[in-house]
Amino acid sequence: MQLSRPFLLGSALLLAAAAAVSTVPSSFAAERKIRVTTTTSMVTDLVQQVGGDRVEVSGLMGAGVDPHLYKATAADVSKLQQAEVIFYNGLVLEGKMTDIFTKLARLKKFVYPLTEGVPEKKLLEPPEFEGHFDPHVWFDVELWALCAQTVVKGLSEFAPKDKAHFELCGKAVATKLRTLHDWSVKKAAELPKERRILVTSHDAYNYFGRAYGFQVVGLQGVSTVTEAGLADMAKLVDFIKQKRVKAIFVESSVSPATLQRIAKDAGVKVGGELFSDAMGTPGQMENGYDLGTYEGMIKHNLTTIVGALK
Amino acid sequence: MNELIPLFEFQRVFVTPWTQDFSSSVWIVLMGFFVATACGLVGNYLILRRMALVGDAISHSILPGIAVAFLISGSRGSLPMFLGALVAGAVTTVLIEVIHKKSRVKQDAAIGIAFTSLFAVGVILISLFASKVDLDQECVLYGEIAFIPLEGMVEFAGLTLGPPSVVRMALVTLVVALLVGLFYKELLVSSFDPALAFSLGINSTFVHYALMAMLSVVVVSAFEAVGAILVIAMLILPGATATLLSHRFPVMLGLTVLHAALSAVLGLHLGVWLNCSLAAAMVVAGTGLFIAAAAVFGYQQTHAHEHSQNNNLRGRRGD
Repeated sequence: MQLSRPFLLGSALLLAAAAAVSTVPSSFAAERKIRVTTTTSMVTDLVQQVGGDRVEVSGLMGAGVDPHLYKATAADVSKLQQAEVIFYNGLVLEGKMTDIFTKLARLKKFVYPLTEGVPEKKLLEPPEFEGHFDPHVWFDVELWALCAQTVVKGLSEFAPKDKAHFELCGKAVATKLRTLHDWSVKKAAELPKERRILVTSHDAYNYFGRAYGFQVVGLQGVSTVTEAGLADMAKLVDFIKQKRVKAIFVESSVSPATLQRIAKDAGVKVGGELFSDAMGTPGQMENGYDLGTYEGMIKHNLTTIVGALK
Repeated sequence: MNELIPLFEFQRVFVTPWTQDFSSSVWIVLMGFFVATACGLVGNYLILRRMALVGDAISHSILPGIAVAFLISGSRGSLPMFLGALVAGAVTTVLIEVIHKKSRVKQDAAIGIAFTSLFAVGVILISLFASKVDLDQECVLYGEIAFIPLEGMVEFAGLTLGPPSVVRMALVTLVVALLVGLFYKELLVSSFDPALAFSLGINSTFVHYALMAMLSVVVVSAFEAVGAILVIAMLILPGATATLLSHRFPVMLGLTVLHAALSAVLGLHLGVWLNCSLAAAMVVAGTGLFIAAAAVFGYQQTHAHEHSQNNNLRGRRGD
């Protein structure tokens, strides 16, 4: 209690500064960039796409960082403190960090979970746990386009003067995502319906399966502590043999060992490595697309899947 | 190599945290200090009882508590998760004691049996009932010391006290310090010599369970506030460092608090310099202090210790 007296002044100053910051945008926005902080690399990419040169985006989780394994550094704290607008995925993808975002939302007005743009009836939830939605929304490009609207909304609320600009950018991004979605549907259609079976390490592709007509089978649950049971493994091997699945897939952020074992038992090949909770390294090119972008990630996944299952 | 280790800039590492970033640093350091003090004070007794790793055990064994709390409440909110973890922590300590007492298995093995079984039960529960929900300590319970300055402030009677988790941890630390002060004799005697405790009319079993209850509260609150690594380390490091520097228990408790404070401050600077996890940096700072103490004083102490043990042996042979 004795300690807190000097801090009273400090926190008053802080509050004043915060109040000052929140009145700035309308006059400043045109001249300088809006400081935005984001969480996963997918969110960072989307905000960059929508905000363009009006925003300065710093993502907390870089390429290849699994949100489960993320640890904050001192610099991350200042990134969050200095952010004028914060975007995160939501639906508990960021785990315990979600609490901090809810608290920040109460102090600061401009904190948005991207998935708030997706109507609840379009979200997937395990039947036995209503309300605990699957967070891997970005694998359905159409839903991700809805999330882009959250970015437009957030940036416009922060800088109302630039609302028209952000709406225009939002439309451009929506068109781009529409093209990507159509491309994905066409790519998936290269496989006959009965061949569209996706066997992977963990339950990250349910939205992908629903959007592009794949039956998705994940070896382990969503949580990182659960491991595949022997019966699960045997069942999966039988399933692969029975359905004559040609290939199964490992993920960039999950250990491939168990899946390789299953591939061996079932006599099928490992069709390649898919991205799940993080994108690739920016600048790493493959067939003309950058694996460090959302578009590259989606194209890589689909090309790999379709190529191996043909 | 130069790319991996950031340049050491005195201004950025030592000055900025206490000027420009003062309002963040002060709470992070205070939180580190409170966690390390509360854990360190309890840890001194754990070391005496050869139970230093019980913190690590609890960090695993809370999994079934979290799973059951989720299945009952249907929520991954902070409160049900905290309560579930607290109950599971208490169950762990009871289980360790029961295994140790009933089977003549030593404490370390008893700890091993208790926590692995509970953790396994947790994994089974999640596989059976909640495999579609992301549920583990990392995701739903462990806090992050770096995010404390973002929490907002608690106000009481017009005074700004600090971020809520720092205020909570300060209260826990205060209660621990008070209990250690009030029951100083009971804790000390029953830790060193249960037979003597019995003859003095102290109920060692009760004292043990009281200490373990306190431990569960401290550890789970601290997990909730700062995550696992800092808590597990600070149950051992401050006490272990103090043991190297003194054999007098009151002095050791004082040194524990000093170690806690130094680890928190040095850890902050290390974390800022390397731009790494602050909790991990505080642990490394604490280890650095332990090594320094061992290098300067450890050698003599070891000799003195061996000497006294030899004397003891001789004495016993004489019997």
